Amino acid sequence: MLKNITLGQFFPGNSVLHRLDPRSKLIITLIYIVALFLCVNFYGYALIAACAVAALIAGRLKPRLIFNGLKPLVFVIVLTAFLNLFYSQSGTILFSWWRLTITDTGIFNALTMLARIILLICGTMLMTYTTSPLALTDALESLLKPLNKIRFPVHELAMMMSIALRFIPTLIEETDKIMTAQKARGADFETGSLFKRAKALLPLLVPLFVSAFRRADELAIAMDARCYNGGTGRTRMKQLRYTALDVKAFALTAVLLAAVIALRVFI
Amino acid sequence: MTIETTNLQYTYDTGEDALQSVTLSFSPGSFNAVLGHNGSGKSTFAKLLNALLEPSGGSVLIDGLSASDPESILPIRQRVGMVFQNPDNQLVASIVEDDVAFGPENLGIAPEEIRRRVDEALANVHMTAYAEHAPHLLSGGQKQRIAIAGILACLPKCIILDEPTAMLDPKGRAEVLSTIHEMNRKYGITVILITHHMREAVDSDRVIVFSDGTVVADGTPREVFSAKLGVLANAGIDPPETVKLLQALRAKGLHVAGDALTSDECAAAIAVMTKANSKSQIANRKDGGTETKADNSSHSERELILQCRKLRYTYSAGTPFEFEALAGVDFDLPKGVFAGIIGQTGSGKSTFIQHLNGLLKPNAGTILLNGEDLHRDKAAALAAKYKIGLVFQYPEYQLFEETVYKDISFGPKNMNLTDGDIDVRVREAAKFAGLTDDLLDKSPFALSGGQKRRVAIAGVIAMRPEVLILDEPSAGLDPIGRRDLLANLLDYHKSTGSTVLLVSHSMDEIAETAELIYVFNDGKIELSGTPSEVFVNAERLRAIGLDIPEVTQIALKLRKLGIDVPANIYTIDDAVREILRLC
Repeated sequence: MLKNITLGQFFPGNSVLHRLDPRSKLIITLIYIVALFLCVNFYGYALIAACAVAALIAGRLKPRLIFNGLKPLVFVIVLTAFLNLFYSQSGTILFSWWRLTITDTGIFNALTMLARIILLICGTMLMTYTTSPLALTDALESLLKPLNKIRFPVHELAMMMSIALRFIPTLIEETDKIMTAQKARGADFETGSLFKRAKALLPLLVPLFVSAFRRADELAIAMDARCYNGGTGRTRMKQLRYTALDVKAFALTAVLLAAVIALRVFI
Repeated sequence: MTIETTNLQYTYDTGEDALQSVTLSFSPGSFNAVLGHNGSGKSTFAKLLNALLEPSGGSVLIDGLSASDPESILPIRQRVGMVFQNPDNQLVASIVEDDVAFGPENLGIAPEEIRRRVDEALANVHMTAYAEHAPHLLSGGQKQRIAIAGILACLPKCIILDEPTAMLDPKGRAEVLSTIHEMNRKYGITVILITHHMREAVDSDRVIVFSDGTVVADGTPREVFSAKLGVLANAGIDPPETVKLLQALRAKGLHVAGDALTSDECAAAIAVMTKANSKSQIANRKDGGTETKADNSSHSERELILQCRKLRYTYSAGTPFEFEALAGVDFDLPKGVFAGIIGQTGSGKSTFIQHLNGLLKPNAGTILLNGEDLHRDKAAALAAKYKIGLVFQYPEYQLFEETVYKDISFGPKNMNLTDGDIDVRVREAAKFAGLTDDLLDKSPFALSGGQKRRVAIAGVIAMRPEVLILDEPSAGLDPIGRRDLLANLLDYHKSTGSTVLLVSHSMDEIAETAELIYVFNDGKIELSGTPSEVFVNAERLRAIGLDIPEVTQIALKLRKLGIDVPANIYTIDDAVREILRLC
């Protein structure tokens, strides 16, 4: 049944990574990405890879999850690395054919790129695996709050995101129902030319849109009835709080960043 | 806490009057039921009390606060909470406790206080165990209780519920009602319950009947249901079965005393009357509950249109969500009958009917359509879709075409019929579904909810199926809509002679229409047979969470009081005949 799909890639748990404030996780992931792009040599990448592995263990996530996450991207990763192989003209030529040359710098660049992309994906995956989409929304709302000063509708955006998260499963269920009902009237969603199939989607999409609008309308009235009045004066039951854990995590991240910079400067 | 409306009026943007001069006041802590046909103005009235609409004339005063004053809107909404019909469309958050916190958060309450209120509200609706669940995985009744908790957390003095049980099964309905009554008793919260279910109105302190934008009856349930029957009929209200039975008896010249409302009172009144007439000699009592009415020609001799043997179906096999929906269903459907399927949510009925037209393929077992295997080849399975017409729950949400005509012709078009053929079928189907010709060129989205549903049903009838299966066709309709739709279906059955299979939660509905009943429980057919064969098993039906028709309940109570009526009467006509026999 379509009903049983899980949203996002969140794996609930109670590890150190799960307990970190979502804001910390967002910021730390950003710093991690910056550090990654500051790396210029093998030692830098090794250090960051070590940190990623440590985080994986701290999050009590199975390594298989990471491999599964990388799988759909294998083609893109390999292609990028492969193109980099031929990109560099400097260094010792190891192989040359027609216009293609492979130099030792080229090989180094390709490997660097490979490491960079994999570590980048690993880092963001570690965050999404251990943070619920809802917590991420809250974190974004909280971090973007200063933008309120320039009249950027932070609260409204966050509210929209969380309502979307709430209604995705409901609408998926509804799609399933409408599809079955139209099939019972002889609709065929699976065979025929591309044009025919696109046309066959009409009996599905029209009711789905109509229903989404109806739901939006009813939800708006229900929110009104529950005293919703925009973001001003609104409090939150669950407040985001930085704990000692977050302080430690930030300290570790700072050390990592410093180490990466040091490696760049001195080696 | 006072709620007062004076000469309250509301006019739609179209110039149509929704409410004309309604003056009402509600006393603190009272339990009020509001009845009325669709479009009678009752929902508009509710929204005016909650300041969701602004009065066009007259006034609404909540604790002295005027709903016309923009400054009082939030304080009014905090005092008067509102629960709506559709459980899905009023939950905002993806986690139950976050949703309950939504109201207090909007009111700017301090976080610790919100936490306390949320915990208390969830405990009050008995949903504490689900605090961290996702709402979309809950049942309808559970979702409605969460919605009620969300209102309770705002500490309201009054809760208005706009048909909160219309989309629920009997179990969910019972859960929600007991929650509402508990809140009323325990915390003295004023309740204004808008409903189409008479049994819900019987239990209230006061019944108010709306019709065409005015209040036509107002009083205790006893006063309203017994004294003002003519008024009720005009307002499109279907009185409780108990009242209808007493009325029917009186129409036959029997003098039944009192104004009984509950089945207990009704049985007692009838018992007193029969004993007084004393022709019921205890001497000529027949034996017990196994007695059945003269069996109207055994159905087993009829030709079978559908036969299922040992049907099994499991959802998400091999995953943690694995669920066996059908656990060996044996089913025989004679040609040309009007049959009913009844069972609780999750008993497998919906899964089962999707097998009958080949939408789902069983994991094991066979389905024979007119004696031939439905899945013998692809063409046969495809043909089955047209031979077995399936109308799903809330079918109005599948409409998509520009005009009613085009929407009804979707099925016939997929069958590759000629335009002439399609035209004949569309018009014929529209007539059977109770749609007039002038509606055919309109957009389906411009029609009322009941009309939309008829369009969807016509869309299936237009395929001229040999068997028409309808899943809860009357769910959410008002009593008139429900009665008319069932009449249309019976008419269709009679004039085409085709087989009809009606899936329903309502025992009364099945009792009124079906010649054969199949009772589903835990993925199997627990009981089947004629209504009298089925309803005689009252205890077994109750054990699997099903109701028995109210008339049957009264009959059972009469038997307990020593009155000799059969235990399996299920229509008012039968009951009247049996009671007359005794007098």
